[in-house]
Amino acid sequence: MDSSQQSFLARHDFLIRRLHSLSGLIPVGAYMVVHLVTNASVSESSAAFQKNVYSIHSLGSLLPVVEWAFIFLPLLFHAIIGVVIVGGGMPNSNQYRYGPNYRYTLQRATGMIAFVFIMVHVFHMHGWFHADVWLEKVARPFGGAQFYPYNATSSAGMALQSTVTVVLYLVGVLSCVYHLANGIWTMGITWGVWTSPKAQARASKACSAFGILLAALSVAALFGMRSAGQGENLQEAIQAEDRLYEHKIEAGELEPNEHKRSGSDHSEEGKEAAAKSEDK
Amino acid sequence: MQILWLNASEKFSFWRDKRCFAVVLKCGSNALVIFRGSDIIEGMTAHSQKSTKPSSFEVRILRQDAPAKGPRWERHRVTYEPNLNVISVLQKVATLATTSDGKNTTPVAWYCNCLEEVCGACTMLINGRTRQACSALVDKLLEENPEGLELRPMSKFPVVRDLVVDRGRMFRALERVQAWIPVDGYGDRGSGPRESQESQQVRYPLSECMTCGCCVEACPQFAKVELAQRSDETSEQFEDRKAQEYDGAFVGAAAISQAMLFNDHPTGHMNAGERLETLMGPGGIQMCGNAQNCVAVCPKEIPLTTSIARAGRQTTVHLVTQFFDS
Repeated sequence: MDSSQQSFLARHDFLIRRLHSLSGLIPVGAYMVVHLVTNASVSESSAAFQKNVYSIHSLGSLLPVVEWAFIFLPLLFHAIIGVVIVGGGMPNSNQYRYGPNYRYTLQRATGMIAFVFIMVHVFHMHGWFHADVWLEKVARPFGGAQFYPYNATSSAGMALQSTVTVVLYLVGVLSCVYHLANGIWTMGITWGVWTSPKAQARASKACSAFGILLAALSVAALFGMRSAGQGENLQEAIQAEDRLYEHKIEAGELEPNEHKRSGSDHSEEGKEAAAKSEDK
Repeated sequence: MQILWLNASEKFSFWRDKRCFAVVLKCGSNALVIFRGSDIIEGMTAHSQKSTKPSSFEVRILRQDAPAKGPRWERHRVTYEPNLNVISVLQKVATLATTSDGKNTTPVAWYCNCLEEVCGACTMLINGRTRQACSALVDKLLEENPEGLELRPMSKFPVVRDLVVDRGRMFRALERVQAWIPVDGYGDRGSGPRESQESQQVRYPLSECMTCGCCVEACPQFAKVELAQRSDETSEQFEDRKAQEYDGAFVGAAAISQAMLFNDHPTGHMNAGERLETLMGPGGIQMCGNAQNCVAVCPKEIPLTTSIARAGRQTTVHLVTQFFDS
């Protein structure tokens, strides 16, 4: 076919698909692992997680740049090209019932679930945009922007109290984990890292082990965060967060920033939530 | 079927693996292969062990009178005989000339050629699975599904009539990847480079491809391309338009594997870059979704996914070297 007749996407399909494959591992997959490891630190203590959040926020005004350049834009690229790829496939695992074919179908299903989940998750925790008007008029009234970086454990923990939310997060996070683990395996074939059936079988075992480990980590992170937002744990978390905040202000390590705290009413909210969970 | 008794004799022994089967005559320290066979013999022995068989069975065939005509199911009742294959079932259906409810019907159209699973012409969907009709044995199929057989034309190629499809896209794909070694020229260029035995062993299984299309039929990434000839178009123009349309669509596992077969050949290697350019172009290797159905359904057990991964590696290297060297 004359190349001038083809669309830009068709002419550069190979490069786009390779970038799609690469972006799934770096930076999107790598970020996800860092994110889950950071979150799982809540299992150690609420202060440990809060300290990790502080070290991420120590990037200061550079943080949004890093977030957009290395997380959101690559993620959106990976997701949008992914939707195009899913649209071009015709899963037939009902007709051809082979293991890799099931994984093919599951890779596409988990990808779509992950896309929806990540959009919901970023809205739920961050509200998508940080403009005050948006946060106050849209995000918070619709249950978004629940996370406050300087009250990291308590605000995240409180946001994960409803059963619906936890089930949504569990399905979403496990979809992400499967998608990454299986994605690494297919990536190795796409780029020609493992070629023979034996090498692919070995890689499959390694990717499965990685996936199981990451799944365990993410479940620990999710339920660790949830229990940190309940009852006494919540009160302890809030106290630890406030101590850390005041200490950092005193030491001059931090500029006061009430936008990143749950605000003057956080302790009341905390008490309400604690009272609720005690009622249960 | 009379083979089983051989098993008991001390002079004879069986040798078999997953696909092949041989009867070996022992003469002292020497052994002589007196018979060799494939699935077909396995099917015979399997039959002789099973005694209960139906007196007749039903064959459901998805028929279509011409391209772009609506398909319709037709049922036929065929008398059971031992050792039928799907080709002989279709021959029986043709002689019946009536459907199972007694209506007159035209003979079902199908292609066949070699009758030993080396040409690929009789590929169709048998009980929903893509395979050759000649090596599909009724005794085995009835064991899997006692109700009868279901025959459909391949779903990824345009139907010409009934079970006959136009697999022209497969052959166009071979042209796209230059699945040949160019040796023609004005002068004698002397002998080419030597090929190692190791390379021969890697390449031989790839050369067994018969372009039957099973790999792409089972591929979830391979979409059907079907065009109809316009009234203002000559046959040549229509063929050109079809070729253009095929060239923008996925080449499929068979052609990728053939590109590896010829890229690995010492003389064919001289055109490796051109083949890789095609594989990196529209409808190239990037369309692969790693479902690996191709290798699972390939009747010749060609390591197609290995070829795909190797093509992935070669295109990776080509991409990087092109970026930095040109």
